[in-house]
Amino acid sequence: MSLRLSAAAASAALLAAFAAPTVPVSAAGDTILFGAPISLTGSLTKEGHLTQEGYDLWKNYINAHGGLKIGGKTYKVDIKYYDDESKNDTSAQLAERLIDQDHVNFLLGPYGSGTSFTVAGIAERKKIPMVEGNGAAERIFNQGFKYTFGVLSPARRYLEGILDLAHAAKPAAQTVAITAASDAFSQEVAQGAAAWAGAHGMKVVYNNKYPDTATDVSSLISALKQTNPDVILNAGHLQDALLVQKALREQNVIAKAYGYSVGPDTPDFANALGKDANDVFGGAQWSESVKYKGEPGFMQSSSEYEKAIETTYHHHADYHNAESTAACLAFQYALEKAGSLDTEKVRDALAKLDVTTFYGILKFDSRGLNVFKPMVINQIQNGQLVTVWPKFTANGKPVYPAPPWGQRK
Amino acid sequence: MQLLAQDLVNGILAGGILAVVALGFSLVWGIMNIINLAHGAFVMLGAYATYQLTKSFGLDPFLTLPLSFVILFALGYVIQRFLINRVARAPILITFLLTFGLSLLVVNVALLIWTGDTRGVTTSYSGANFTLAGVTVPWIKLDTLLAALVITGLMHVWLTRTRTGRAIRATSMDIGAAQLTGVRVRQIYAIVFGLGAGLAGVAGTLISMSYAMTPSMGDPFLIKGFVVCVLGGLGSVQGALIGGLVYGVVEAFATQINVTIGTQSISGSGLQDAIALIVLIIVLIVRPTGIVGKAVV
Repeated sequence: MSLRLSAAAASAALLAAFAAPTVPVSAAGDTILFGAPISLTGSLTKEGHLTQEGYDLWKNYINAHGGLKIGGKTYKVDIKYYDDESKNDTSAQLAERLIDQDHVNFLLGPYGSGTSFTVAGIAERKKIPMVEGNGAAERIFNQGFKYTFGVLSPARRYLEGILDLAHAAKPAAQTVAITAASDAFSQEVAQGAAAWAGAHGMKVVYNNKYPDTATDVSSLISALKQTNPDVILNAGHLQDALLVQKALREQNVIAKAYGYSVGPDTPDFANALGKDANDVFGGAQWSESVKYKGEPGFMQSSSEYEKAIETTYHHHADYHNAESTAACLAFQYALEKAGSLDTEKVRDALAKLDVTTFYGILKFDSRGLNVFKPMVINQIQNGQLVTVWPKFTANGKPVYPAPPWGQRK
Repeated sequence: MQLLAQDLVNGILAGGILAVVALGFSLVWGIMNIINLAHGAFVMLGAYATYQLTKSFGLDPFLTLPLSFVILFALGYVIQRFLINRVARAPILITFLLTFGLSLLVVNVALLIWTGDTRGVTTSYSGANFTLAGVTVPWIKLDTLLAALVITGLMHVWLTRTRTGRAIRATSMDIGAAQLTGVRVRQIYAIVFGLGAGLAGVAGTLISMSYAMTPSMGDPFLIKGFVVCVLGGLGSVQGALIGGLVYGVVEAFATQINVTIGTQSISGSGLQDAIALIVLIIVLIVRPTGIVGKAVV
C-alpha cells in the first residue's frame, strides 16, 4: 500500500517537474531562441543551406555586436534548426516540436512555398509569430493567418518589371506572349504579368500553360512563334526556363525581350546555356547591386552584405541568403519596437513594421505579405548579372532590343 | 497548316527519345516480368555520365553514347546478378519494392555527388537549326532522332540474328523449354537487365542535350516510358518505337487544342499528359496488346 502511495507521489512529482519548465528558456538565459525547420537534405538541400547561412550571418552579427536591446535589456540570439528533408509534413511536425519541446520564442521560415504553407498553419495554431523569407506563393497569405509574415515580393510582381522596362523603352513593346508552368506559384506569376500588361495597354497575344513535368515544350513554342510577340515571358522554374530558352533558340524565335520568373538569377542558367543565356531578363528578390540604404542596427548596404557572405561562406551572396537575413531583420526591428518578448506584442509590431533594410522595404499588408517591395530585374550581359530595373537601384543599362540569336555575347 | 506540319515534326523528334527510354523498360518488363522503377534513375545516370565526360574530357556528347551504354550496362548487369536475381521469381510487389528502393538510393547518391544544381550539356552547335518548307528543325534533335532510330534498329537485328538474342527471346517465350535446350537463364536475365539499363543510359545521353538535368530528372521519363511501352506493345522493339512516336505526336498536337466552354477557356497544353493517357486508354480498348500487338519479342 505504502509502495503504491509513494509511487503515486513520485509520479506526481515527476509530472510537476515536467510541467514546470513551460516558462520559456529565454526568460532565464537572456537569450532569444528562434526555431527553424529547414531543408538540409532532400530535393531543396542547396536552397536550404543558403537559407541557413542567411539566418546564421544575422545571428553572428547581432551577437558579435552585443546582442539586441529590447525594453532596456540586452539579449543574445540563438537559432535551433531541424532538418525537414524538404518535406512539407515533416516541416510542420518539426515546427510543432520546436514550439512544444524546445520552447522557441519565435519561428523563422523553412525553405519553399510548400513547407512555409504547412508551418504557417502550426504558427497560427500555437500563436507563435513566424517571419519567412522563402515562400512567395500568395496561397500562404490568403488563409487569414495572423502570425505569419513574408518578406518576399509576392509572385504576381515577379515579371512586371520586365514589362515596365520594355514598355518604356524605344521602340516600345506592344505585345507580349506568356508561357507558364501549371503549378500555383507560376500561375500567380503569369496572371500578374497578364494583368499588368492589360492595365498598361499592352496586348497579350499568347498565354498558355504546360504541365510542370513537361519534358518537351517545342510545340508550345511553335504556336507562340506564330504570334510574333515583342516580349516573351516565362513563369516557371529553373528546369523549364532552360527548356523554354533552348526551344526558343532552336526554333529561332526572335523577340525584343525574353524574361523569366526564375532561372537567369542562378548561375546554373548561364552555365547550362552558355552564350544563349545572354541578354535574358530575370526577376529577383534582391541582387548584390541594389542600392537601398538600411536603418542602423545591421549592415546597411548590399555591398557590405555581399562582402560578409563572401568572407564567411566563400561564395557570392545569393538572393536566398539575403531574403533569409531579411526575415531575421523583420524580427529585429519589430522586437525593438515592441520592447518586449511577448508574442502578441511582437506580432502587433510586425504588423505595423515599416523599415528599409539593405534588402529593401519591410512592410506588410493586412495578410502579412510584403506587397510594397518591387522585384529587381537582372539581365545576363556577357555572362554576368547586371541589375537594370528599377532605375534607382540599377547598376547598368538594359540591352534592348535583344540582338538576334547567334550574335549575343 | 504550317503549324500542323511543325507539330508533327516536333512530335516525331520528341518521340524518338521516348522510344529509346521505353525500349529498355519494355525489354526488362516483357522478358523478365519486372517493372523496373529504377529505370528513370538509370536515365538520369546516363545524362550525368555524358555531362561528366563532356566536362572532364571535352568529349562531344554524341561520342559518349557508347560509353554511357557500357557504364550503365555494367551497372545493370551487376545489380541483376547480385540483387534482383534473388527475387526474380517473387511476386511482382517484391520487385516493385526493390527497384523503387534502388531508385531512391541511386537518386540520393547522385545528389551527393553532383548536388541538386541544375545542369545542361551545351555544345557549339546547340540551337543550330535549318528551315525546310517553313518547318524549323533543330539539328541536335534531328541527330538525336537518327541516333534513336539506329539504336532501335541495332537492337532489333541483335535480338533476331544473334545467338544471345535468340536465347533471350526463347527465355521470354518459355523459360522451361529454354533451360532444356541449354540456355542459362540467370545469365540471360543479367544480360537483359544490363541491356535495359544500358538503353536507359543511352536515352539519358540523348536527353542531356535538350533537357535540363537534376538528380530527380528521371521521374517524368519513367512515367512516359511506362505509357509508351504499354501503348506500343510490351517487350517489342517495334512497339517501343511506334509507341514513342505516337506519344510524341499526340503530345505535340494536344498543345494546340483550345476549347472554350462558356467563359472558361481550356488549354490542351496544360492537359497534354491527360490527353496522351486518354489516347492510351482508347488504344487499349481497341487493341489490348498495344499498337504492335504481340506480347513476345
